Amino acid sequence: MKRYEVIVIGAGPAGLSAAIEAASHGMQVVVFDENARPGGQLFKQIHKFFGSKEHKAKERGFHIGEKLLKEAQALGVEVVLQATVLGIFDGKEISVMIKDRLEHYRANDLIIATGASENSVPFPGWTLPGVIGAGAAQTMMNIHGLKPGNRVLMVGSGNVGLVVGYQLLQAGCQLAAVIDVTSRIGGYGVHAAKVARTGVPFLMSHTIKEACGTTRVEGATIIQVDGHWQPVPGSEKHLEVDTICLAVGLSPMSQLARMSHCWMENNSGRGGMVPICNEYGETSLPGVYAVGDVAGIEEASSAMIQGRVAGAAVARARGYLGEAEFKDRYGDYHSSLGQLREGMFGHKNKGRTDLTHTEEGYALSRTLLARGYLAEEELAGYSGVCSGEKRKNGVFPIIECTQNIPCNPCRDACKQGCIKVSGKITNLPVVDESVSCTGCGMCVVSCPGQAIFLVDESYAPGYAAVSIPYEFYPLPEVGARGSALDRSGAVVGEAEVIGVKITRAMDETAVLTMKVPLDCSMKARFFKPL
Amino acid sequence: MSKRIMRTPPEGEFVARPDDSLIICRCEEITRGEIRRAIYDGMRTMNEIKRYLRVGMGLCQGQTCNRLVQGIMAKELGLDPVEVDIPLSRSPARPIPMSVYANDGVTKEKGERKYE
Amino acid sequence: MRIQNHPILKTFEKGRLVTFEYDGDTLQGFEGEPIAMALRANGVMIHRYTSKQAEPRGVFCAIGRCTDCVMIVDGKPNVRTCVVPLQEGMKIKTQYGIAKKEKDESA
Repeated sequence: MKRYEVIVIGAGPAGLSAAIEAASHGMQVVVFDENARPGGQLFKQIHKFFGSKEHKAKERGFHIGEKLLKEAQALGVEVVLQATVLGIFDGKEISVMIKDRLEHYRANDLIIATGASENSVPFPGWTLPGVIGAGAAQTMMNIHGLKPGNRVLMVGSGNVGLVVGYQLLQAGCQLAAVIDVTSRIGGYGVHAAKVARTGVPFLMSHTIKEACGTTRVEGATIIQVDGHWQPVPGSEKHLEVDTICLAVGLSPMSQLARMSHCWMENNSGRGGMVPICNEYGETSLPGVYAVGDVAGIEEASSAMIQGRVAGAAVARARGYLGEAEFKDRYGDYHSSLGQLREGMFGHKNKGRTDLTHTEEGYALSRTLLARGYLAEEELAGYSGVCSGEKRKNGVFPIIECTQNIPCNPCRDACKQGCIKVSGKITNLPVVDESVSCTGCGMCVVSCPGQAIFLVDESYAPGYAAVSIPYEFYPLPEVGARGSALDRSGAVVGEAEVIGVKITRAMDETAVLTMKVPLDCSMKARFFKPL
Repeated sequence: MSKRIMRTPPEGEFVARPDDSLIICRCEEITRGEIRRAIYDGMRTMNEIKRYLRVGMGLCQGQTCNRLVQGIMAKELGLDPVEVDIPLSRSPARPIPMSVYANDGVTKEKGERKYE
Repeated sequence: MRIQNHPILKTFEKGRLVTFEYDGDTLQGFEGEPIAMALRANGVMIHRYTSKQAEPRGVFCAIGRCTDCVMIVDGKPNVRTCVVPLQEGMKIKTQYGIAKKEKDESA
């Protein structure tokens, strides 16, 4: 039996971060992962992450994955792939299947970072080929370069459903609708908004009644539900789709943790059965840690910090890291994690549906929660939306950020200092109208929620210029004509592309500037080529 | 488990429901009706249901259906899903060929099997 | 079904184009991509039929968890095609039930 100082199970964001931290203090670390590629779900994440600079905000998930791997490699972390951990015995002994052999290892410290698995929802026809998990859709299109289908129904409006829905559009699929049994969109409003403005309908209080077809999905019947989630007879709608994508939540993948016999709890706030951990991620068994989604469903940014904390705790426990330095590091990680858990989607507010106002006291947009986009009249009072007077005199950003989400890259993006996020990271951005805007567009591309637009009502008599973030192929050329779509995806007027800007620093998000009739300046938020 | 299991049957008689034919365990093709019936037959834990019906004992080992069965049990018994414990977890956590276990501790030298 | 141009990822690194056998037909796919992806690119949705109800099944989770996509690969049943890489000349067969049965035997 081979012995390691630290064994990490799972090479996702949490596991790799734990390995990196422990190895950086000189520990001997091995990471086992059952997949052919490391990085967990990070390589399927092609959107820009939220958070602040220290959380690698505005970087795309797969780039973060590449960085983590490089870092692990440089520190001599051994990552063994296609190595399936089959069991944990006696606390810290594990058996691993590598190729066709069973290997046994013992660790001084064991870090369990096995992640999560997708939940399902059964309905007639849910076993038909063509009904897939949202994770399956991501794997197909972002790893293997295959469209999961031509026309897709997304079931679930949490962040996974919204993000994968957007990615389906980017892969060239059509999205027939996003439905959810709840009455409010579960994920970030900005994620919903970038799907809604392409014209995808959001049908809240709807569930799937049936997948139609005999040998594969040929359609879907959806039905409205009442306040008690009971189907309303007669409200059925048939959708022509060839794929049904399920994004109905995640459960911690805690089988291995349970095998270690650490204390577990069934915790609905954490997504199911999870190990009971202290603030360093240590379970009831000394030297056995659990980090990332297996210890409670969150997102990749917090998983990485949890991994770091556990790695540092292991190093301290074994004398590789002094008490004072550990305290310093832990303090930093703790406050960094705390930032991510702030706001209306944070721990404390998980599952709450009674919030009506932001922390600053702005009324939350009801249209955004019900249909995925902001109504123009709801937008006016927000601190990121400048006054009509200012807009008349030249280009200025309009920040359609209306929920307390931990995110602030817009603040650093503006070299003029026009955008401010002061105090908590979840505070809404404020535009400073006394500062002049050069129209560089860096705020537009650095907003992970794609919620920043530039509006210039002085562009030409009777016309305004509106700049939008654009991440679709083919990228329109200057002179291209088409329609300006509003936030709901409805055509509001003709549009002509007058500028397309894409530089390396913009990381594949183009700024597309279109000329629209003046009265559309606060309506036009997407461009549809002819 | 020190938890006491209440063996009183759920309220009333077993009543068939239109969605009873819905497959819950995709691997073993166990339906919602079979699971509901098992509860009326006296099964009170997921471990019992598993052994009674083979639900979660197929190739995927309950990856997809555990949570669904948990929900069905909770609903039938009037509990919060978190009050229904999911089945025991044992090695192997993933399906593996039996030959892998059979060859554990065996090294092959010149065609001979040697035990470590 | 293959994505030729992607706004963020641009192109996808693939192995060389190889041929393989699917239920007697000769198909092409890229070496090293999961068998299931090569099949889907060729329009194959049904991977197996279940043993009790003889229902068609295909890819569901695509990450080797759900085992709905298992097929008979080179004579070995229950191979998770969504995680096993394609190799030249592989013989892939639709699986009926959970064993190495041919279609006519299960009928």
